[in-house]
Amino acid sequence: MTATYTPRPAIWCAGCGHFGVQGALVQALRESGVPVERVIILAGIGCSGTIQNNLGTYGYHALHGRVLPTATGTALADPSLTVIAAGGDGDGYAIGAGHLVHTFRRNPAFTYLLMNNATYGLTKGQDSPTAPLVHPDRREQALDGILLGLAITTSTFLARGYSGRPEQLVRLIGAALDHARSGRGFAFLEVLSPCVTYQDTYPMWDAAVSDVDEVAGYDPGDRTAAFGACLRVMGEGRIPTGLIYRGGRPASLPDPAPARAVVEGRADEYRETLNAYRV
Amino acid sequence: MTVTATRVRDDLTVAVAGQGGDGSLTLIGLLTRILSARGFHLYSARSVASRIKGGHAAALLRGSLADRGGLGDVVDLLVAFDEEAITRLGPEMAADGIVIFDSSAGPVPQGVLPDAVVVLETPFARIAVRDLRRDLYKNSLAFALLSRVLSVPDAEALACMRLGLGRLPPEVREANAEALRRGFDHATEQGIPDGSGPWSLAAGVAGERLLISGNEALALGFLVAGGRFFTGYPITPASEILESMERHMPRFGGLAVQAEDELSAVNMAIGAALTGVRAMTATSGPGLALMQEGVSHAGSAEVPLVIVDCQRAGPSTGMPTKPEQSDLSMLVHGGNGEFPRVVLAPGDPGDCFLLAVAAVGFSRRLQCPVYIALDQAVSQHAATVAPFDLDVPIEPGAIVGGDDLAGLAEYRRYRVTADGVSPWVVPGTPDGMNLVTGNERNEWGQVSIDPETRRVMMAKRARKVASAVDDLPRARRWGSGNAGVGVVGIGFAVAPLREATERLAGRGLAVAGFQPRTLWPVLEETVAFVRAHRVTLVVEHNEGGQLLHLLAAAGAPLERMRGIRRCDGLAFAPGELSDLIAAEAGR
Repeated sequence: MTATYTPRPAIWCAGCGHFGVQGALVQALRESGVPVERVIILAGIGCSGTIQNNLGTYGYHALHGRVLPTATGTALADPSLTVIAAGGDGDGYAIGAGHLVHTFRRNPAFTYLLMNNATYGLTKGQDSPTAPLVHPDRREQALDGILLGLAITTSTFLARGYSGRPEQLVRLIGAALDHARSGRGFAFLEVLSPCVTYQDTYPMWDAAVSDVDEVAGYDPGDRTAAFGACLRVMGEGRIPTGLIYRGGRPASLPDPAPARAVVEGRADEYRETLNAYRV
Repeated sequence: MTVTATRVRDDLTVAVAGQGGDGSLTLIGLLTRILSARGFHLYSARSVASRIKGGHAAALLRGSLADRGGLGDVVDLLVAFDEEAITRLGPEMAADGIVIFDSSAGPVPQGVLPDAVVVLETPFARIAVRDLRRDLYKNSLAFALLSRVLSVPDAEALACMRLGLGRLPPEVREANAEALRRGFDHATEQGIPDGSGPWSLAAGVAGERLLISGNEALALGFLVAGGRFFTGYPITPASEILESMERHMPRFGGLAVQAEDELSAVNMAIGAALTGVRAMTATSGPGLALMQEGVSHAGSAEVPLVIVDCQRAGPSTGMPTKPEQSDLSMLVHGGNGEFPRVVLAPGDPGDCFLLAVAAVGFSRRLQCPVYIALDQAVSQHAATVAPFDLDVPIEPGAIVGGDDLAGLAEYRRYRVTADGVSPWVVPGTPDGMNLVTGNERNEWGQVSIDPETRRVMMAKRARKVASAVDDLPRARRWGSGNAGVGVVGIGFAVAPLREATERLAGRGLAVAGFQPRTLWPVLEETVAFVRAHRVTLVVEHNEGGQLLHLLAAAGAPLERMRGIRRCDGLAFAPGELSDLIAAEAGR
């Protein structure tokens, strides 16, 4: 067996919500049975953007805000890989928000874990686009990624978990991995993941989360109902979690994978292409 | 007119001008067939106002038995569908030129054309609408006059049109044939009989040739070199690369993706390249500015990537449809930090194919970004070239597969090696798991700010390009080998420079020409060229002399270089350039 890099201990502060996300991801990956060499985790910039260093899979550290186009390229070029993008709320909802919209629209088959702590932890506590979740007195209002995803009608998987509810989180990550791996498309999973140093939201979120899975008769296949249910829960000052929406048209996967396209011995076919330019 | 003598032409520039949508490109397309059947080399240019449809448009075609690859000094034959065509192109006319004018809206404006220019006036649009019920048939009427002026037999013109319009419905083809016949009648009335017009075309040897633009040739080069993943965001003048890729990729198992912006395009290409697929993106200056962060990232993370810049006039949104060479500094120095890169600069469509192949190969071999720098004219103008060699060797790169890996005790993604290139294991390979990052890192890919690690890694990356210097694409040279005067140019400056050099030789001034095809790193041969001449004139399309200063920074003696520059969106004419070179050489 060839020795490769040794996964390092996480750099996060003791008590950071990201430990919960990482633990749940490890368990969900184990339960999925995907061999470790088939997994690539692409991470953005921020505290969350170090998770790929800790797990022994293939890892990529993308530019701030660009993890979604990067992961889209990877997933389209080799759909046989289990592609997981990870990043924070600054990465996904601020600098990279434009890409999030187009990733919903494009529906490539990979999983995106957006670890939302409502702050910029790595740069020491500035407001992120979700900070008003915690500070309702702010002049600007919070961005809600689930409502955004629901509004884009080609989205196929929208869920929210909480690192303080590990059993639900393992189940949601498993469902997301399954959604992407089976080729149905982009699995968006926002995880509420408190920053104990700059924004300790554990007490607040423990009380605020409201699991749609526990609502009798909730149908995650009904986009309209999902939208209404989220707004209702939010109107009560709570945060909807669980598998909020799953449905829509499956992704269109490149076949064969561009990464395995035959590049040798095709001169005759090239010549036919060239003929269009003959004079 | 009365034809007294027929003059044989072996070099002819024809312009067709009118409102955009008049169909001038169709007419030029028909003429292309006539000329190439006689062995003429072709160069086809468009001048379009930057609007979607409409606005004044001119299509230019130069046919010459000598391979010129650029426009000449003047327009010999102008087909003008409106007055504006005369006012715009009249000053460009040869003193002995001929104008075919659509007089539907009135007579030829006075005082614009040189006195000796012959004007053939026919109300094409009026006849087309009156007799054939459709304005567009004026093109076929005009084509009849054009072919009579060039003494092309009627039968050949008719056959050429049937072939050229082969994809149209039969009734449309027949109506065009009828328009052509009526056009012949009008030509006869004007004193130009079948087969004996004022000019005739010289007979050359028809060769096997392609008529292709730089953008299209570059797209084919990428494909043939093994490229199978392309991303782009529409931008003039790079969009044809995206369009070509969308056309070609599916057949060859590749993928072309239209991204939501250039930030996405460059990062999507990087993400794809991680899997081992050969990836490229293409843009123009404003898009390249957005991509800088991504290119720096590919340089740091050591991801192979080809980026095409079809340069247009800047700054900012500038003149989107006009060529310039003012991104050179951004290509060579842009992006945060210092990272290995290569910048290649083709001078014509054939060169675009070759350098696309080279770019894919070097990006793969060196695991770094490679730029290809075009300009709008090289990108979008079409020229005849010899068919490409399609049996190019595919550069495998330092990929380590599963079997090779099994024999290794350990694998480090960023292993320090003599040439700086580390063995590369792509995701999906058992036991090769690795970390790739734009941060500084140790050999294992683990982020590090240790000063010694930093020194080692910076030096490792710098060695990569140095290791390939002897193999990077060499310059093209022309003119006299032992002249005192040298000229240097890239992109669309090359064709008029070659022609000017030839004319100056005829005037007794020996000039040596040099087109550097690798702009970065600046090769020793480029510096040596400047050193070898008493004076070297650096001809470029920008204001500040970016190429000249790039050469000077690399050690070319500044006191031996002088610049000839323009940044008004226009190409140099060979005659104008000859005079400028002669004047500078005499100083």
